[in-house]
Amino acid sequence: MDLTITFLLIGVLFALLAGGVWIGLTLAGVAWVGMQFFAGKPAGDAMINTIWGASSSWTLTALPLFVWMGEILFRTRLSEDMFKGLAPWLDKLPGRLLHTNVVGCAIFAAVSGSSAATCATIGKMTLPELKKRGYPEDKIIGTLAGAGTLGLLIPPSIIMIVYGVTANVSISKLFIAGIFPGIMLAALFSGYIIFWALMNPEKVPASQRTYSFAEKIYESRHLIPVILLIIAVLGSIYAGIATATEAAAVGVVGALVLSKIQGSLNWPTFRESLIGATRLYCMIALILCGAAFLTLSMGYLGLPRALAEFIIGLQLGKFGLVVMLMVFYIILGCFLDGISMVVLTMGVILPTVEAAGIDLIWFGIFIVLVVEMAQITPPVGFNLFVLQGMTGKQITYIAKATLPMFYLMVVAVLLVYFIPGIITWLPQNMKL
Amino acid sequence: MRALLNKLYDGCAALAAASMVALLITILLGIVDRYIKLNIKGTDAYAGYFMAGAGFLALAHTLKRGEHIRVTLLLQAMRPALRRKFELLALVIATSLAGLFFFFALRFTYQSYTLHDVSTSLDASPLWIPQIVMVVGTFALLIAFIDELVMYAKGGAENATSELIRSE
Repeated sequence: MDLTITFLLIGVLFALLAGGVWIGLTLAGVAWVGMQFFAGKPAGDAMINTIWGASSSWTLTALPLFVWMGEILFRTRLSEDMFKGLAPWLDKLPGRLLHTNVVGCAIFAAVSGSSAATCATIGKMTLPELKKRGYPEDKIIGTLAGAGTLGLLIPPSIIMIVYGVTANVSISKLFIAGIFPGIMLAALFSGYIIFWALMNPEKVPASQRTYSFAEKIYESRHLIPVILLIIAVLGSIYAGIATATEAAAVGVVGALVLSKIQGSLNWPTFRESLIGATRLYCMIALILCGAAFLTLSMGYLGLPRALAEFIIGLQLGKFGLVVMLMVFYIILGCFLDGISMVVLTMGVILPTVEAAGIDLIWFGIFIVLVVEMAQITPPVGFNLFVLQGMTGKQITYIAKATLPMFYLMVVAVLLVYFIPGIITWLPQNMKL
Repeated sequence: MRALLNKLYDGCAALAAASMVALLITILLGIVDRYIKLNIKGTDAYAGYFMAGAGFLALAHTLKRGEHIRVTLLLQAMRPALRRKFELLALVIATSLAGLFFFFALRFTYQSYTLHDVSTSLDASPLWIPQIVMVVGTFALLIAFIDELVMYAKGGAENATSELIRSE
């Protein structure tokens, strides 16, 4: 197949995206034109067949349910409780309550599949509380935006489901593989706060009260609901008794029960969470449908194979390839959201990655890490948008405050490259 | 007319939300079935159908609420007159694609009806029944796009473009 046509199509694709045509429709439209006119196949039936297959596939059912769970939890008092439970413990660390951002996000990430939801839910509580206590605002915002991205890395994770379905990799294994990298990244963030606090002790407000050990334990009762939910959702996957989908269904029920006990469950909040989740899922589904068909069409045009041959011909070596892909995704991430980015490129890039001998589970976590970076790079970064909405600050200010976290993520990518066991050890040593 | 259109979008959205609840219940039944034999076959396939229902039927409503994402970076940087031209062009392209989508969905579903296409999973249901959601959903989406296009061409308000925040 003539590659100039393929590149022409890619050019049209980006022109349409930049021109503001809805992403999912653009993907399907370009795929249709490519297949119909350049691959000489009747494209319409193939399109609908692929779209129907993608939108009714059982493996994907975990996605709408985790989205729904996130929408329910967002409307509970969970973040308030977590702040109460965590604050007494973190008050003694250098940097004090700034750590509630990191630890809060890390814990909430274990029940949420989304980075923006994690950021919004935890920020709802920590932003006003930390500001009131006099912590420097750029540090509050920066650590929150960075730590919010843990929502993607620490399972459950919407982006891992999308990757797993696209790359045909076990979602449960991806979920397990994300744990150590997630804890590692949280540790890097906390380490940064400690380092910064030791350098600038005058900027950290003094502790307001000291808690006895018994008080700390007693305050920890606020953490019980979220811990029970984590056990119900992730525990069932790790124990091998539930698939990711089933765990998501258990999670929705758990979130409803939690919301009922806290007294925040009533008809309006239930309705809002349900319809909100339906819209959010619908938005993602349209992109997934378009991307599924684009992948098929690109396959007919021979793009993935040609690209794989081209890149292998460059003799970059594994490290060179990983660095190149990281730079490529960081640039793409400036303009596209994470899900679009993954589905748009996977069909084309996976053959190259496989040919280079990179483990697909490892690559999945790598992709999640680079998508996390995309969440906090301007001009298009969802966590930045969330914080812009919550703080009313300029996006450039927020992006600047978040920049140290971005560097830490680059460090995290290098760490998992040189020590791949951080990702692969746990899934290899767990029976699934 | 307006009232009728809103009924179409909202009615489909209500069905989509109901599909979401049905999806949850189906999967829960599948879990229960493992411990107590309920003799329901093919819960996996039904879950897939309900997910398709939730996705397709909400298409129009999601569009009207401005939650289908698109890149608005360049549009926002344009002069209003130029932006208007691009917005119209984007709407025309999107409307045509939605039309294509609906046409093939209709034809595909009609074919599975006439050819008696049956699910290969345990449920063995005739596939045209769940596929109806795709026909209805894409039809509503097409109407919603035409609606947006007409409103925008008439000089109506900026069409819905809010960027979604809790998406990922």
